[in-house]
Amino acid sequence: MTVAEESGERKNPGLPGNEEFDTLIYGSPPLAYPAALSQYAIYNTPDPAYVTGRINVSAFANLGAATPWPFANTNVPLNGHVCIPRGRGPFPLAVFAHGNHNPFENSTPGYLYLCHLLASHGIIAATIDVNFLNGSNFGENDARAIVHLEHLKQFRSWNNTAAHPLHGKVDLNRILIVGHSRGGEAVGHASFFNRLAAIGPVVLDGSAGLGPYRFGLTAVAAIAPTDRQFVPPTGPTVVPDSYFIIHGSQDSDVFTFEGYHTYERAHAVDVVNPTVSDGKFKAMLWVHKANHNQFNSVWAPESAPGLAMPRPSQEQIARVHLGALASAVLLDRRQYFAVLRDHAVASAWEPAGTDLVSQYQDPQRIFVQHNQEGLAPPVVSLPVQGTVAADGVVAARQLTALVGGAATTTITLRLAWNSVGTRLLLQVEPATLPAERYKAMALRVGQSTEAANTAHRDQDFTLQVSSGSRTAAFPASSLHRLLFPDTPPFGPAKIVMQTLQLPVARLIEHGVDPSDLRSIALVFDRRQTGVVYVGDLQFTH
Amino acid sequence: MQLPEPPKIAAVEVVPAQPTEADRAAIAHMGAKEPRAVYVVKVRLKAKPPVTSMAWALYVGDERVPKYWEYADGIYFTVFDPQFFVRHKGKQLRFSQNETDFFDTGVELAPAPSVAEGNAIRLPLQADVLN
Repeated sequence: MTVAEESGERKNPGLPGNEEFDTLIYGSPPLAYPAALSQYAIYNTPDPAYVTGRINVSAFANLGAATPWPFANTNVPLNGHVCIPRGRGPFPLAVFAHGNHNPFENSTPGYLYLCHLLASHGIIAATIDVNFLNGSNFGENDARAIVHLEHLKQFRSWNNTAAHPLHGKVDLNRILIVGHSRGGEAVGHASFFNRLAAIGPVVLDGSAGLGPYRFGLTAVAAIAPTDRQFVPPTGPTVVPDSYFIIHGSQDSDVFTFEGYHTYERAHAVDVVNPTVSDGKFKAMLWVHKANHNQFNSVWAPESAPGLAMPRPSQEQIARVHLGALASAVLLDRRQYFAVLRDHAVASAWEPAGTDLVSQYQDPQRIFVQHNQEGLAPPVVSLPVQGTVAADGVVAARQLTALVGGAATTTITLRLAWNSVGTRLLLQVEPATLPAERYKAMALRVGQSTEAANTAHRDQDFTLQVSSGSRTAAFPASSLHRLLFPDTPPFGPAKIVMQTLQLPVARLIEHGVDPSDLRSIALVFDRRQTGVVYVGDLQFTH
Repeated sequence: MQLPEPPKIAAVEVVPAQPTEADRAAIAHMGAKEPRAVYVVKVRLKAKPPVTSMAWALYVGDERVPKYWEYADGIYFTVFDPQFFVRHKGKQLRFSQNETDFFDTGVELAPAPSVAEGNAIRLPLQADVLN
């Protein structure tokens, strides 16, 4: 990929494209839905070409016995809505899944606003029925993942059926799966299961109805997901595909930003082989004033009046950022990776006054300091060699409950200062840091609500980068705002770090030679006192 | 806003039932001999909490119940191994949403009724236990 390709023209990805499309229902009739479940009767009259079979999820889940489903867990339907661009294709595929909600309300149509957007840009976009797993249940997110993968299998089957209208129209190497809430946790499990030949006693070769999968998942996107409600025997799921997460600060359902744990586990540094990359990216968007339910257009907002942003604003943010993700990974419009790298690229397309925090980790990176060596004082991370000196700043690596609930499983570096001019200085051996091979220096940093930080004021400091006798200084605020945490609906405020990206080209403009980089300093000269948390410092693309 | 209140338990009942086909497959995969019974632990709630994604994880002592399901009067989970009841004898059922704050319910796990050798075939279906 060249810089020119990356810097192509970017239009608002949240606006409809020019492709015409048709919206169809697919389903597994006949099912005798009782009056209380009459919302699901629409799936009894699917488009005639889109009649589906049933699947057996009994190895993973029971159905809520308090809801009168007209089927058992051994034969649940594959129901959904799909928006199909007109034309020959092949078109990429995006499939959305809802999360847990009152099963007497059909949650499935709640993502049609996103399906319509993607279809208008030339993507087959579906939203699937997983309502039969909804209710006062817990631990069933493996079943949600299986249902999601079986819907992908249905699209593969249609694509491979000569007489079917979708024959040859689905690009099975460009698939995005998106899940909200428990469906957001489940897409992570789906990404993991997609590579497996069996799950416990369930063989995924099709012989017992489930699988085989092994789809070309281009990326996995989670909207306000839960985390670890289902835990595989091998431990918490580590998402193996590229991963995107969006979550709102006013979420009063998943109020502890559980998905941040999923994000941290994905594509984490391998301390033994820190230069090894799995070739995948991850990106995060934290949306101040967004809540949980408004990402689904049919769910009533869960927030008290006045706490969350208006629904149209939240849907606009979802359109812009999921539209950018889909454009980048499904349509090969790589210029939209810029939106994933830095949300400020999309600021003109956001509702006025929106406060966002974002993180991005590229597959191509070298860590200068990843902080995962342990809880001892901070060091420069191998293979980069150097020293760290805390000059008047208290520097402590710790496992912190950054996002409420349990502590994150990755270590952050807490930096506290109470006088101007203190600093954290990283001196590096230039021969061990090939910074000139990368496009940017990236630092993840965020402030807390601790007393040293002034409430509702952005935190700030200076980044000093030196090579030989040349030093360049950049206020952190010139790269991005470091927002004061939003007051959550309940529980402690979250410490959500922002990725600050300092282009290597800017270093060169300021006379710093990236091939002879000697030191990087965080100089705390812009606020009298403060506390910030640092995730990692890396050179990256 | 106030943090959600944990559910309140009215009673816990353990009912032996026949294993389902899926239970048999799972038990065989674990390498265990097919048990005489699967134990359905019915946790009757005074009021069901609102259906949310976060919901409440249920613990017996310090062990999280991996999966539970809804029935008309509350929630239930199934246990294959009767040693589970021995291991957790006298331990309280607890709820947590965040693995950090735990709410004791004041209700202990009920013991498992013994199932005599010849009675297994007369055990009820799980679906019948829940009706």
